[in-house]
Amino acid sequence: MTEVKKDIAWRVYLLYFLVCLFGLAIIGKAVAIQLFEGDELKKKAQSLTLIERNIEAVRGNIYATDGSLLATSIPIYEVRFDPNSGALDEEFFYANVDSLAWHLSKLFKDKSMAAYRKSLVHARNNGSRYHLIQRNVKYPELKELQEFPIFRAGKYKGGLIVHQQNKRERPFKLLAARTIGYEREDVLPVGLEGAYSDVLSGVDGKRLMQKIAGGVWMPVGDESEIEPEDGRDIYSTIDVNLQDVAESALLKQLQMHKADHGCVVLMEVETGEIKAIANLKRTSGGGYYESYNYAIGESTEPGSTFKLPVLVAALEDGFVDMDDIIDCGDGSKQYYDRTMYDSNYDEGGWGKITVQRVFEVSSNIGMAEIVSKAYGQHPQKFIDRLDKMSLRDPLNIEIAGEGKPYIKNTDANSWSGISLAWMAHGYEVKQTPLQILTYYNAIANDGVMVKPRFVEKITKGRKVIKEVETEIINPRVCSKETINKVRKALEGVVESGTAANLRNADYKIAGKTGTAQIANKNYGYSYNSRVSHQASFVGYFPADNPQYSCIVVVNAPSQYVYYGNLVAGPIFKEVADKVYANSLDMHEELKKQENFLASSAIPYSKHGEKRTIEKVFKELGVPVISKAKDEDWIVTETKDTAVVIDERRITENLVPNVVGMGLRDAVYLLENQGLRVDVKGRGMVKSQSLQAGSRVQRGQKIQIELS
Amino acid sequence: MQSIFKYIKGDRVIWAVSLLLAIISVLVVYSSIVTLAYKYQGGNTEFYLFKHSIILGVGFFLMYFAHKLNYKYYSRISQIFLFIAVPLLLFTLLTGASINSASRWLMIPVINQSFQTSDLAKLALIMFLARMLSKRQDNIKDFNQAFLPIMIPVLIICGLILPANFSTAAMLFVTSLVLMFLGRINVAYIISLITIGVVCLGIFIAIVMNSDYTGRIGTWKNRIENYIEGDAQGNYQVEQSKIAIATGGVIGKGPGRSTQRNFLPHPYSDFIFATVIEEYGLFGGVVIVLLYLILLYRGVVISRKAPRTFGSLLAIGLSFSLVFQAMINMAVAVNLFPVTGQPLPLVSMGGTSIWFTCLAIGIILSVSAHSEKELEKEVSHA
Repeated sequence: MTEVKKDIAWRVYLLYFLVCLFGLAIIGKAVAIQLFEGDELKKKAQSLTLIERNIEAVRGNIYATDGSLLATSIPIYEVRFDPNSGALDEEFFYANVDSLAWHLSKLFKDKSMAAYRKSLVHARNNGSRYHLIQRNVKYPELKELQEFPIFRAGKYKGGLIVHQQNKRERPFKLLAARTIGYEREDVLPVGLEGAYSDVLSGVDGKRLMQKIAGGVWMPVGDESEIEPEDGRDIYSTIDVNLQDVAESALLKQLQMHKADHGCVVLMEVETGEIKAIANLKRTSGGGYYESYNYAIGESTEPGSTFKLPVLVAALEDGFVDMDDIIDCGDGSKQYYDRTMYDSNYDEGGWGKITVQRVFEVSSNIGMAEIVSKAYGQHPQKFIDRLDKMSLRDPLNIEIAGEGKPYIKNTDANSWSGISLAWMAHGYEVKQTPLQILTYYNAIANDGVMVKPRFVEKITKGRKVIKEVETEIINPRVCSKETINKVRKALEGVVESGTAANLRNADYKIAGKTGTAQIANKNYGYSYNSRVSHQASFVGYFPADNPQYSCIVVVNAPSQYVYYGNLVAGPIFKEVADKVYANSLDMHEELKKQENFLASSAIPYSKHGEKRTIEKVFKELGVPVISKAKDEDWIVTETKDTAVVIDERRITENLVPNVVGMGLRDAVYLLENQGLRVDVKGRGMVKSQSLQAGSRVQRGQKIQIELS
Repeated sequence: MQSIFKYIKGDRVIWAVSLLLAIISVLVVYSSIVTLAYKYQGGNTEFYLFKHSIILGVGFFLMYFAHKLNYKYYSRISQIFLFIAVPLLLFTLLTGASINSASRWLMIPVINQSFQTSDLAKLALIMFLARMLSKRQDNIKDFNQAFLPIMIPVLIICGLILPANFSTAAMLFVTSLVLMFLGRINVAYIISLITIGVVCLGIFIAIVMNSDYTGRIGTWKNRIENYIEGDAQGNYQVEQSKIAIATGGVIGKGPGRSTQRNFLPHPYSDFIFATVIEEYGLFGGVVIVLLYLILLYRGVVISRKAPRTFGSLLAIGLSFSLVFQAMINMAVAVNLFPVTGQPLPLVSMGGTSIWFTCLAIGIILSVSAHSEKELEKEVSHA
């Protein structure tokens, strides 16, 4: 027996020894993996478990000059569904798919319940893992969606996949749409969005994400990420109210005349700030839509509005004076093979009139005569003068797509004997509405030509990063004397000339009408075929002390009414009236009222912050009797001779008494204590749902009623 | 304390090692279960924590009862188990539930627990071998008297396991051969058998590699190819396991901080050793290896002390079988062996594996407990 045991014993020990070797080999191999393959494997591990994700920087907002939001980014979601999620079993799916389809159909209202059910079942049977439910889902819809059957079963089982995107939204929709613009992939950027893309877009951040269970990626700590730098905000020069007036006035007029398209630009004389810029184009359906920035992009023959630079040139070069007599004849005059007409040809023409009058009545022949006489021998001198007034250079504004100005040179192939005469009333040259306006603005601005600008400042949060300065294109387009002369002429146009319909008692408008025939691609200017016109009015106001300049251009109005004063003039007037009504500094000063408070009783005040209330009373000279010591918050009581101030104690972690306060102070106080405020009504706080002085529970809801 | 020890008999070191392994098991399984929890329980990891703890609890009950029973009864029980195991294996092979396209599992009705029939067969066969070897000790070197009657059941059982689970069959076969060697069967027979086995295996591999079967054979083919070609594209599991080991370092990432658990297939079972090293470092790995070596050492001691050959072979056979399986599992995790589906005894999650392991340990403890008694009797008689 012991023999057997001994025989077994050595075998057992041998076996144990071998197993120990095996164990050693395992440990050895593990060590070897760490030592020899460790670095490479660790790198691999990182590539598998860690990923660097882009964090999209929030694009900056575009504000109007008054702080109204013109363009902003809102999150929008793409919702997908994994109908073959591992945890979503057959029974659960079919038990809930009907209900889910019903809810989806009810939420989106785009497909019937049956259609939704069919697509969901189809997706499941197809083995799809990424079935599209809906694009462009808004946040409230998403919240609702997450509570739907199946979807609410949790991240894994529910199979709901949500991708967030940022969508650009314009709260004012069409308002100045082309000027605010947009930026999309593969499309030339438009408007301010395009011009200030760099500023608005910011810098994307990076975040290290780690893969955890259920295929979820989770950020790894804070230290390893690059914070996204959100885009800067832009305050545009656009005034929402004026923009609205401009747009609606334009729309009304376009509709009335069934015009093809038109634009309005309102500019501040001194700074060049564009306060309103509206562009409307007739759609095939007969409506109007802002689809192209005509004011900036459309370079056309301006017609009579170009007579201003022509007159300025002749005056500046000393060829004429305003009192010189010009013979305009019977309203028609032959220049080589072409006949020029004045608008009153039917009535026998203007005959002999002063230069001032030529301008006021916008005589084509008169202008042609002035220029022919002045520059007939040296036409290049005329061109050079226009050039000196920066009329041949583009404005180089920040918004892309500016139309190129064109002024025919004497060495051009198409230069002919009639070129000079025709240029005199705005043909054979091309200008965009904004370029013409800039020139008129220079006249209004005492000869200083400033560049139109659309942006006031660039901000980050509340901090101003950059104030955009006014740029001067040409410090002096002409002499002061010339300016005085032409301003008188421009005033004359409204006083007794072609735009007499704009005359008005409150303030004076100075400007020039223009009625040009548009070169039609198919027919040229040919008179026996259909002609389309471009009616315009450009000027500034108030004439004595110009604050704003404005141009209105309406293209292809109906055949019967196409004169600048009738088509474009009323738009100009409506905009100007609105600006005038809004601008106190344009009104004549009213007689100052002394001590208008003294006559009234002691005013009543809401309760609130001590410093503010005391300051207001002090400014107004209201006597105050203060019983409050160092408290920040006070209650007021209006007595016969004074306002009595007493303190209102606010204690940390106790519900404050906000009755009698204004909404702002009340919400500030309550939220500072960690309460959630639910507001009803408006005015002054009448009651509060939580007893003042009771202990605050963070996140608790308090309702305050105002009246 | 003393009152508990009154009921607990047998080798205290084995009790302690089992308890330690069970504790480690709970820790590591709880950490590595996340993926599974997300897949089936909506992220509820506690579900698995409770389930696993309960299974371990039941396991220790089984261990307790097994060690209470005098080990001499296991001689008879082994026969009964074997008679149950053979038809069950056949039944599983034909109808069993498929995991990794291997028909290894049977569902036990009522408790709804999947059950790997080969676990039962393994336990039965080892006990049976101990019985046969001890009974035939007188003619142990004889071919007809000893080798043949012992070899036939081994071949039947392994043959039935083989189609569904090559690695278990191979492991059980090796364990059986080792047991036969310990039981003093003629080494010449064993060596010639191994030679035949190797040749057969060679032929088998050649057939597999040249076939385009899918299903089980396809899986084998892939695994063999993966191992041979090393860093092949499909060798995902091994790579993940190695990453886990490499990133674990000496002291590991800390409990519950494994990241590879999200990539490793079965981080709570087949590759649990990789998870251990990732979270507890080489230190944790060495501890696990040492615990198993201690377990085997105690098996050796018990076997030496056992007054009868049956007890001696039973103790060493079962403890070797357990530790051998553990070593295979760990060898797979460190890529010393090709990928197999062997759980780490007592540590990996999985009901029947733990229960049969506990049963085996209980039997070893029974040998230890009752041989002490027998020795006491002998001493008192003398």
